[in-house]
Amino acid sequence: MKSLRRFLTRLLNSAARRAQEERLREEIEEHIALQTAENLRAGLLPVEARRQAMLKFGGVEAMKEVYRAERGLLLIENLLQDVRYAIRSLHRTPGLTAFVVMTLALGIGMTSGTFSMVDALIFRPYPVPHPSGVVTLVSTTHDSSFNNFSYREYLDIRDKTKSYDGVIANADIEAVGFSPETGATPRVKGGMMVSGNYFHLLGVEPRLGRGFREDEDQVPGRNAVVVLGPDFWKHEFGSNPSVLGRTIRLNGTEFTVIGVAPETFPGLLTFGHPDFYMPLAMAPVFSTNRQKNFFEDRDDRELNVKARLKPGTTLQQAQNELAVVAQNFEREYPKVNRGRGAAVHTQFEMRTRDDDVNWKFGVIFVILALAVLLVACTNVAGLLLSRARTRTREIAVRLAIGAGRFRLIRLLLTESLILASLGGLVGIAIGYGIVQWFQSFQNVIFMTDLPFSIPFRMDTRVLLASVGLSALSALLCGLVPALQSTRVDLVNGLKSADVDAPGRKRLWGRNVLVVAQVSTSLMLLTASFLMVRGFQHTLLEGTGFAKDHLLMTSFDPRLMQYNAAQTQQFYKLLVERVRKAPGVASEALTQNIPLGTDDFDGIAFVPEGFQMPRDRENFSSTMDTVDEGYFETMGIPILRGRGFLASDAADTPRVAIVNEKFAKHYWPGADAVGKHIRLDSRVGTLVEIVGVAQTIKYQNTFEPTDFVYMPLAQHPIARMTLMLRSSGDPLQLVQSVKDVVRALDPNLPMLHTMSYEDFYLNQAVNGPRIAMKLVGSMGVAGLLLAIAGLYGLVAYNVSRRTREIGIRIALGAARADVLRLVMGKGLALVGIGTLIGLAMGFGVEQLMNSMLFNAGGVDIVAYVIVVPSMLLVTMLAAYVPARRASQIAPTQALRYE
Amino acid sequence: MKQKTDVLQGTLALMVLKTLDVLGPQHGYGIARRIEQISGDLLAVNQGTLYPVLLKLEQEGAISSEWGASENNRRARFYRLTREGRKQLQVETQDWQQTAAIIGRFFEVKAEDLS
Repeated sequence: MKSLRRFLTRLLNSAARRAQEERLREEIEEHIALQTAENLRAGLLPVEARRQAMLKFGGVEAMKEVYRAERGLLLIENLLQDVRYAIRSLHRTPGLTAFVVMTLALGIGMTSGTFSMVDALIFRPYPVPHPSGVVTLVSTTHDSSFNNFSYREYLDIRDKTKSYDGVIANADIEAVGFSPETGATPRVKGGMMVSGNYFHLLGVEPRLGRGFREDEDQVPGRNAVVVLGPDFWKHEFGSNPSVLGRTIRLNGTEFTVIGVAPETFPGLLTFGHPDFYMPLAMAPVFSTNRQKNFFEDRDDRELNVKARLKPGTTLQQAQNELAVVAQNFEREYPKVNRGRGAAVHTQFEMRTRDDDVNWKFGVIFVILALAVLLVACTNVAGLLLSRARTRTREIAVRLAIGAGRFRLIRLLLTESLILASLGGLVGIAIGYGIVQWFQSFQNVIFMTDLPFSIPFRMDTRVLLASVGLSALSALLCGLVPALQSTRVDLVNGLKSADVDAPGRKRLWGRNVLVVAQVSTSLMLLTASFLMVRGFQHTLLEGTGFAKDHLLMTSFDPRLMQYNAAQTQQFYKLLVERVRKAPGVASEALTQNIPLGTDDFDGIAFVPEGFQMPRDRENFSSTMDTVDEGYFETMGIPILRGRGFLASDAADTPRVAIVNEKFAKHYWPGADAVGKHIRLDSRVGTLVEIVGVAQTIKYQNTFEPTDFVYMPLAQHPIARMTLMLRSSGDPLQLVQSVKDVVRALDPNLPMLHTMSYEDFYLNQAVNGPRIAMKLVGSMGVAGLLLAIAGLYGLVAYNVSRRTREIGIRIALGAARADVLRLVMGKGLALVGIGTLIGLAMGFGVEQLMNSMLFNAGGVDIVAYVIVVPSMLLVTMLAAYVPARRASQIAPTQALRYE
Repeated sequence: MKQKTDVLQGTLALMVLKTLDVLGPQHGYGIARRIEQISGDLLAVNQGTLYPVLLKLEQEGAISSEWGASENNRRARFYRLTREGRKQLQVETQDWQQTAAIIGRFFEVKAEDLS
């Protein structure tokens, strides 16, 4: 208690130092005055009386020291003193300070901005209590390690495992026709089917009402209940609590609102935030796959399965248990489960999965940003070092009058800490700007009605990281100069303002800086150059089809409760009537658009005449369902065979068209036309391949992939997109399409109506373009920093040898010799840096190739451009001061300090 | 030497408290003189050392201080014992007496008493 009180008063005293000092002075004065008066009374002469009084009082200064130590907190006061001093000395060189702060801010800002990305993509925990216990269960095959489970499989896993407190399942977010009341035209919203125990097991307490009960998820189609997502509730119902118990229509079926999820739970997905949740048992209302029965078919794998590990159960135990379950599946259902295993993954493992490029980009961005930060730090270290040199005498004086080396290092570190703090502050602002910049692409990237958003944000986690980075960079850029500049030879230091007793040890610091700078910036430049080229390459490569003059608009007749026959009748009439509209050159229907937001369906098949590996039941590929106008409308050439015809009907033999890659894959050297595949297995439906289409870009810009087309008439799909090729501006067709649709069904909504080119630019081009801008700006920032820093360091090194150069010339050295001597040193350092940088750049290239572009090989052009330009810059940096030095008159140089 | 000042500081604090207890509010010089009168040469030189002790006691809350007028009508800092200080004085006096008694007995002990 007593010590605490003393501590607090001392803290206060530290703040009110001046007043205290004044008080003590006054007290001493008074004391001595009283003593003097006393002495006078005792008969001493005035002068002697005062002298005696002061003698008796003792050493004032020594006492004051004790008094001060007693009064305040020495450590804090020293720190404040350091801070004050540092600020004063930084204030004295405002230009340098500003430059250093901006340099650090650039590095810190870029890193924290990109870290916000990696944090959202990889590290941010699930927004539920005890998120680390939540694991994901996946089904694995030869082709894919992250498959979903079917409903039946989910039930078995739930009932046969003991490692978990519970097992939950959810389907993907899917487009659902939502109308707040009967009669209103449905709008597309994103709903997610979840198991009855979903909210309960995750520990999510509803904001309002309740979550699902387990019994609401047992009988198919019985309990039409819905839980709203927080954002949806806010925007659609104005956060009105009376929404509970209300009836809304989803895909035409009435659902009762029973609860609202809390703000803190936007869902478990990184990008998507469901507008509402429905029980799995209501699948008949939402199921997209008419070919399969959600509740019965064990190979209708639509469910993402998660579980909460029991406390004390390890991942390995859960893994072993699940492996047994998977083996049983394989034994009991060989037809659909052959070669299929299962695995348990943590959130981190799921987010860093191999087949996801997003996080890889994030990580590469952070690495590049850290390289910028490193260059910035070496830059600042170099500057501080040369600044410290000019302070050699000051430091020597301080050491000479008894300052401890540690105390001086602390002072210098305080300076760099202040610089880094300022840099960190500006850096956080820059990082915030970068996050905002990411956010501004929200509508550009997600051109969809579904609730997706960019999850990057500047939160406490990112702020903490930025603070950590600032501290780290303070240490990085401050330590070497502080250590070096306090290792002063006192005698020389006092004699001259600038000592360069040429001890080898003292030079290594600057040499290391030069090498580090050259190599890091070279790596940075190589990496960003490679990435920009990679993106450009994939963008320039083209997509393989004609993107211009295309209007797209989607329909989902299920939103109006059409049955399968009505749906196909609608599409038939739609195409027939739209064809007659003025300005329509050709028209087509497709299940998915190329490079669109939705994933293509998969197809399992056995190719005819292909030697199946022993352990495989079938192969898989992506596929699309299209009508007979598709290839013409999209401008995709049919290389061999024919396109689909109106004669390929439901009652004629099944046909398919494959892409060239598929054909070469399974029938190399032979003509694929006329060959057959069987669907699902050796005994499945026989499908004849009637044509080979040119391979185009389907899902993203980094692929060629196998692809199969099925005719709509033989493979009916409910949700289709109409593509119209126009002779003029595609958007001018919108009205005629609207008229046609209104005549068919005035209530049926048209979804995602836009020009395909606009969509393509936003969807497929902007992502890479944003990445290119980001990477490019990092490369440029790194290069500029490196040039500035390098020039400074090399030039400084040379200019310090001015006197030596003068002596050499006075003794008869030729200017050329001197030039060679001076530049040789710089070039050697640059050479070493280049070698290291090349090695690092090569490593990064390998990394990027393996992670992203799958291209392999070395991009020679990058090195051919980058390396010589770096060499040129450094040579220039060495040459200019060397030349100046060699031209100085010896007499002047000798006096040079 | 160093040790001696440490001891001095401890005893000095107790003397300050006692002085204030007996004489009421006093300024620094007053306290110094009292102590000098009673303890002889302990404070004959280095009266200044009193001030850090006063500060420490004040920070601990044993004494408080305020400005007042000294005998020759100048501004002086007057120290007074607080209630807490009085308690502290009591405790420390007891402790001191106990210690002194024990130490005293030790000094009185002769070799034959221990055998």
